[in-house]
Amino acid sequence: MMTLMQAAAPLLVLALTVTAMLAALAIRRSFAVTIGIAATGLILATISIPWALAARANPFPSLFNLTPDALGFAGLILLAGLATLILATLYLTRDLPLPREEYPLLLVLATLGAFAMATSAGFITLFLGLETMTIAMIGMIAYPRDRPEAEEAALKYLVLSGMSSAIVLFGIGLAALATGHLTFAPLLAAGPNPIILTALALIGAGAGFKLSVVPFHIWVPDIYAGAPAPSAAYVAVIPKIAVIAVILHLLAMPGSTVSPILASAVGIVAMLSMLVGNLLALMQENLKRVLGYSSIAHLGYLLIALLAAGRIGRAGVIFYIVTYAITVIGAFGVIGVLSRAGSARDADQIDDLRGLFWHRPLLATIMTLILLSLAGIPPAIGFIAKLYIMAAGVSADLRVLTATLVLSSVIGLFYYLRIILVMALKPADRAEAPASVIAIPITGWLTMAGLGALILGFGIAPQSLMTLLHAVFK
Amino acid sequence: MILAWLLIIPLLGGLLAWPADRITPMLPRAISLATLLLELGLILPLVHGSGAAILSAPSPITSGRWLATFDASWIPTLGISIRLDLDGLSWLLIVLTTIIGLFAVIVSWREIDHSTGFFHANLLWSLAGSIGVFLALDLFLFFFFWEVMLVPMYFIIAIWGHEHRRRAAIKFFLFTQGSGLLMLLSILALAFLHQRQTGVLTFDYVTLLASQPTGRLGTLIMLGFFIAFLVKLPSFPVHIWLPDTHTEAPTAGSVILASILLKTAGYGLMRFAVPLFTAAAHHIAPIAMALGTISIFYGAILAYGQSDLKKLVAYSSISHMGFVLIGIYSFNALAWQGAVILMIAHGVSTGALFITVGSIQHRLHTRDLTRMGGLWTDLPRLSSFGTFFVVASMGLPGLGNFVGEFLILRGVYAVSPTIAILAAIGLIPAALYSLIAIQRAFHGEANAKRGTHDFGTRETAMMLALGAAVIWLGIDPQPVLKIAAPSIAVLLPITHAAAIPATRRGT
Repeated sequence: MMTLMQAAAPLLVLALTVTAMLAALAIRRSFAVTIGIAATGLILATISIPWALAARANPFPSLFNLTPDALGFAGLILLAGLATLILATLYLTRDLPLPREEYPLLLVLATLGAFAMATSAGFITLFLGLETMTIAMIGMIAYPRDRPEAEEAALKYLVLSGMSSAIVLFGIGLAALATGHLTFAPLLAAGPNPIILTALALIGAGAGFKLSVVPFHIWVPDIYAGAPAPSAAYVAVIPKIAVIAVILHLLAMPGSTVSPILASAVGIVAMLSMLVGNLLALMQENLKRVLGYSSIAHLGYLLIALLAAGRIGRAGVIFYIVTYAITVIGAFGVIGVLSRAGSARDADQIDDLRGLFWHRPLLATIMTLILLSLAGIPPAIGFIAKLYIMAAGVSADLRVLTATLVLSSVIGLFYYLRIILVMALKPADRAEAPASVIAIPITGWLTMAGLGALILGFGIAPQSLMTLLHAVFK
Repeated sequence: MILAWLLIIPLLGGLLAWPADRITPMLPRAISLATLLLELGLILPLVHGSGAAILSAPSPITSGRWLATFDASWIPTLGISIRLDLDGLSWLLIVLTTIIGLFAVIVSWREIDHSTGFFHANLLWSLAGSIGVFLALDLFLFFFFWEVMLVPMYFIIAIWGHEHRRRAAIKFFLFTQGSGLLMLLSILALAFLHQRQTGVLTFDYVTLLASQPTGRLGTLIMLGFFIAFLVKLPSFPVHIWLPDTHTEAPTAGSVILASILLKTAGYGLMRFAVPLFTAAAHHIAPIAMALGTISIFYGAILAYGQSDLKKLVAYSSISHMGFVLIGIYSFNALAWQGAVILMIAHGVSTGALFITVGSIQHRLHTRDLTRMGGLWTDLPRLSSFGTFFVVASMGLPGLGNFVGEFLILRGVYAVSPTIAILAAIGLIPAALYSLIAIQRAFHGEANAKRGTHDFGTRETAMMLALGAAVIWLGIDPQPVLKIAAPSIAVLLPITHAAAIPATRRGT
């Protein structure tokens, strides 16, 4: 039995964690206990991944794709979930006039959904995972429900993701109609016919929505800005990892070819995402909106590596998504450790960071590293990630896309540098700035320092990360 | 290993200096000074002993006859390694970097009085970046250091600069970073081209030298390097970041920018843009020479029109770097010798000029020439040093800049008399702006009563040392030429007849 379930162990651990949390909540409400179970569950699931990687057989071949690749992405989802869980623990302080215990539950549930999605072997699992993740995330966005903008964001996300799910479902229906199956392989084997193409386009639109690329990006800034910081980090990172996992799985399947029409469509989407994301970020005063637009641009960069395909393109996609996860969680983490769920708003205005260099030099340094990483400047890890994308683009001779990457990177510098400048300004008034009065607990410092160390460490010595990724993603 | 230490020492020094101002604001300054002295003690002996033997027997670059080397694996997946090599050219520029760095520390001793720790950390880190640029022989590593020197410099300008510092800092960063990305594209394209030819992905300079891409692709790849270096040099028409940046930076920042960062571009052209693309470089040579000539005139004429003394010095840099550009693209050994001398002499004399302007601003609270005049009566020491360095930078015979310009002009004349004659005519506006600056700042009637604290011991000693360097370069440039000659012999694509007597005279 043990060996039979070996490959599915992380998934089972995660499912059991959700059950255990529900049971614990029914017995006695305690934030500490819920957090404890959630963290233990996530850590156990992560630890079981190497063990699962060694498994020989897949117990659920028709439902889950438990190959090393998929499990690698699942591991990344678990780690990212764990990081946001820590941030959420610091963020949901005692003074929140609401029960706090459901937040970790929603977070683990969403992680379970993302896990299922990343490891899905067919449309059923894919859709169930997608919905589990999305619905749990809506709860996470609306959690501080006395904040009107959080409620508004959750409602927007509900409507828009409901619509995108419907579109995906329609696409799945068409695919099933054309092939008679709900697994991926027959769809790829069917060859080009109008129904299959329509199905692919509809499913692709759903993926585009979750990846937040132009033209499916309209929701991003509003929802990032309205959501509480840890939820925004979650929404910005985890669904994207799951979708990328599915796309890479599909591309790696035998017989999968990217038709020229599809490739040029993706190319246009990438180009628009890079330009629109960076241009719109220029005019923002809200840090979460900046991060929202910048994430649109980053996914545009990532699509270049996806299009480039080949060994370096694939490695580039994986390296980039890891970098993106570390950096974006770090950026929302900085907002998170400076904000509390009980207050009326997060410290998410760029001006809230004014003078951070002088009253919190360590946090400002970490934020500078994060911004350098987003801008792709050494010695941060984002530089190596961008190098990968450019290398993929150059090696596949995608000249226009690579040139757009350079141009939009330069545009991006404007707003990243502006934030660094604001942090370096002389502090206005020490007492007024929320960034200088709020107390940051030791766990907050450790998490932020850990993320900063990863950004700097992997930026200077990227080989260690490359070797690790190479070992997991064969 | 010694080369790795050359990088580690300033990086560590910066890390130490940063928190040190919590103890006393004086401590970071002392740490900076000690770090740079240690660095100097490490780099200076490298040309003696076995180094001297290597220098006297020039040999092809591939045979690995370097003063010192260091090779460690960094990102083997992408064929990137930490390859550092020191030859005569690098040695000269690193010595210049360290010495100018020392002066930058001394000049900011009084000027920078808030957050000295972070300031000195940034100063040391930007120096470490430029030393890395002069050492790296892996193209990717070179680019890494090229970028690393930007961020600290950006902070120096943005935090400790003058009124419009934020705008200037962003402008500086955008221009260098944007052109840098073009260079990164070229580096990648070159590496992948090499991979297609040989099946090996590597960023190693010596290996890639054999690649020599030609045709349209070769020109395109070369252009990425060329544009990045033109921006940094800077040459007309991509010079627009320079006047603002120089004007708004604190004195130490201007000194580092003018004396060190601009030299990384000249070095990059000599080390990378020309040898990696011999054929394409010859193609572009007429354009490069034309741009250089335009820069000589454009910089000089605009310098003449400035009323801000710091801007005047900044524009004059564009003019001087125009000489370096035409020198390099004449592919003539004499001209290259001249370019090396001019880069060093310009580093020293312009550094000294920025220190003088900084001192004037510190005393008068203005850089406006119309509000100066008659400084000589109040500040005789400052004014005499100022005059000395202005005429030095103008190219007075007997001083370092003259030797550089003369060698360049002689070398260029052998290749293209027209360009040489035009460039020589460019010396006339140089004399004009230099003399008018002296006239307006130091002579005439004093138009306001001023406090009269002239250069103290610290400043006088600093100026004497810099002045001695300029005079020494002017009277006896032979040791410098001798150290640079083997590098030039290897880097120059076609060894002209003129190169042989030059190297012989050196040995």
